[in-house]
Amino acid sequence: MSNRSKLIVTGKPFRYDQERDAEFERLVKRYPTRESMILPALWLTQEQEGWISAEAIAYIADRIGTFASQVYECATFYTMYNLHPMGRNHICICRTLSCWLRGKQEIVDYLKDELGLKPGEISADGKFSLEEVECLGHCGTAPVVQVNGEFHENMDVDKLKSLLATLK
Amino acid sequence: MAEMVKLFVNGREVEVESGKNLIDAFKVIGIEIPHFCYHPALGADGNCRMCLVGIEDGRPPLVPACKTPVAPGLKVQLDTEKIKKIQHDIMEFELINHPIDCPVCDQAGECTLQDYYMSYDLQDSRMTEPVVVKGKRMDFGCGVVHDQERCVLCARCVRFTRLITKTGELGIVNRSDEARVETFPGRPLNNRYAVNVVDLCPVGAMTSRDFRFTQRAWFLTRDKGICHGCAKGCNIYIDHNREKYKDDVIYRFRPRLNEQVNGYFICDEGRFTYHAENEGRLMAARVDGKDCLGDYAAQSVRAVLGPKSLILVSPDSSLEQMAAIKALSEAVGARLSGYSEGYIKEGDGDNWLIQDDKSANRAGLSLLGIDAGKETFTRLLNSSEVLVSFDNDLFIHDTGSEFRQRLEAIKVIAVTSHDGILTKMASIAIPVASYSESSGSLVNIDGMLQHFDRAVQKNTPYFDMVELCGMLGSPVATASDAVNEIKKVIPSFANVEGGLKLTASEATNVPA
Repeated sequence: MSNRSKLIVTGKPFRYDQERDAEFERLVKRYPTRESMILPALWLTQEQEGWISAEAIAYIADRIGTFASQVYECATFYTMYNLHPMGRNHICICRTLSCWLRGKQEIVDYLKDELGLKPGEISADGKFSLEEVECLGHCGTAPVVQVNGEFHENMDVDKLKSLLATLK
Repeated sequence: MAEMVKLFVNGREVEVESGKNLIDAFKVIGIEIPHFCYHPALGADGNCRMCLVGIEDGRPPLVPACKTPVAPGLKVQLDTEKIKKIQHDIMEFELINHPIDCPVCDQAGECTLQDYYMSYDLQDSRMTEPVVVKGKRMDFGCGVVHDQERCVLCARCVRFTRLITKTGELGIVNRSDEARVETFPGRPLNNRYAVNVVDLCPVGAMTSRDFRFTQRAWFLTRDKGICHGCAKGCNIYIDHNREKYKDDVIYRFRPRLNEQVNGYFICDEGRFTYHAENEGRLMAARVDGKDCLGDYAAQSVRAVLGPKSLILVSPDSSLEQMAAIKALSEAVGARLSGYSEGYIKEGDGDNWLIQDDKSANRAGLSLLGIDAGKETFTRLLNSSEVLVSFDNDLFIHDTGSEFRQRLEAIKVIAVTSHDGILTKMASIAIPVASYSESSGSLVNIDGMLQHFDRAVQKNTPYFDMVELCGMLGSPVATASDAVNEIKKVIPSFANVEGGLKLTASEATNVPA
């Protein structure tokens, strides 16, 4: 897994757009404590920007009224949150037990050797980005690869090659 | 005294206090359950799994001792093969990515990981994979330096900032073997108690920039003391050492448990007051600008003391010292004042440990009936020809300039531990022992009477202030004289068990 705790400081202030601002206020009423809003607030940010910057985390912490370190913890713990800009096609490979035993490393090695793509990185042309993620819940059909949120099961290098060919 | 309950440990019946968890209850009777993450001030977290114990009542095979309250008849197992195996395995996990840099680590000698390795592990590493590399020498702010590789992720520091100081600067970010303690970019540690995380850290991950690489833990002598940084009187350990061919020097203060005063912590400001004990001291007696023997200087003071003298007592002095100085003023007919408004920093205190009043024993002044009013002091000063200050720094915190003109017109005598503006003005200056080099009693802002004993023994000890008072003509010339004197003036002190000679532990604090 990449060092996901590295945050990018953009130097630009972050705030929700009007739609997400309203959504935040709607959601926050659902929960018994404002801290519960951390995960939805991170989702809203990712929806809006595609990724989550250091400024966004500070904004969320201040808006919820919690510690920035706590939002930082959540954002780095869950591999679904992107802490840097993604490629047009975001490839997630499960790194947990079943997928590891069923050969996820061959797929990771192929991407590294053939495309120069390492976990946590984005290809030079911005077409692909790769992340090793925690269990995706498809252990019965391991190894599993998720591309732009879509699952591809029982993966191997050949299948991946044909899958990549279909991506723009 | 809490209610006692009977339960069984490894088949042996023991009696422990109720209302505690197994770790705390057993510690009192000398049975240790290993743990990293549990700390009595921070509560049970249950993340380290080192304190797993067996309970023979059909519960899940093992439970964390930190989350298990004592109960009558509980059958606790601490030494089954299964528990030993788990402790052994957890230690192996903890050490997988640990750099094992004990020879250059400040924590060596007082490290939980070292101790537990000897007690529960004792195996060679079986790792052939390269270790995970993490951040070293990270400046977390407030003088705290973090080494992520040494960390065991017990989260004590994180919980301290969230639960105790409520500033929440620290968090554990990322996951699995990449998990590490971090601050959020641009929001470093920023609270007045931050260095407590160094004491809380069971390993060498958190170190103090002030103490790093100055001494090995095993060379330090740990003596009990009372912090003189403010009126709270926090209980501390004075860690000091006399290196070969050098003088006895203090290297750090650490908090000492006292539930009635400071709990497990002290403030950073108080922690670093030890610097003042080592530096800026008045080294030699001086009469009219020439260094001389202390005895000669004392004789010179004795010759000028009289009804036209004003003796100024320090609110930092112990009760014994105050009693001796008061007796001296009565014996020679001198005036007496405890004026010391400069010691109070209005608005500096918080609602926890830090107080506005930066003196250790102001309550003692009023208990002994020493007037500390500004009006009285000004009136007495203007009609006196000699001012004798006993360690009272009139110019502390940049105050006292209003008295400068008058002080320049009269004879100033400074009996003091530290060099300062007043000693420069003084025609006679006599160095005396500071609080770490003497013993005495203090009454803190909450009326708590506490005794402290001598910790540091200088190669050439300075005068003890009480004995110096005797040399100057006070009938109170020894510590025991002083205790008797205090008992006469303050009747409630006579009830203190064993006189004023308290052992300075948490159990012996008595409200004054």
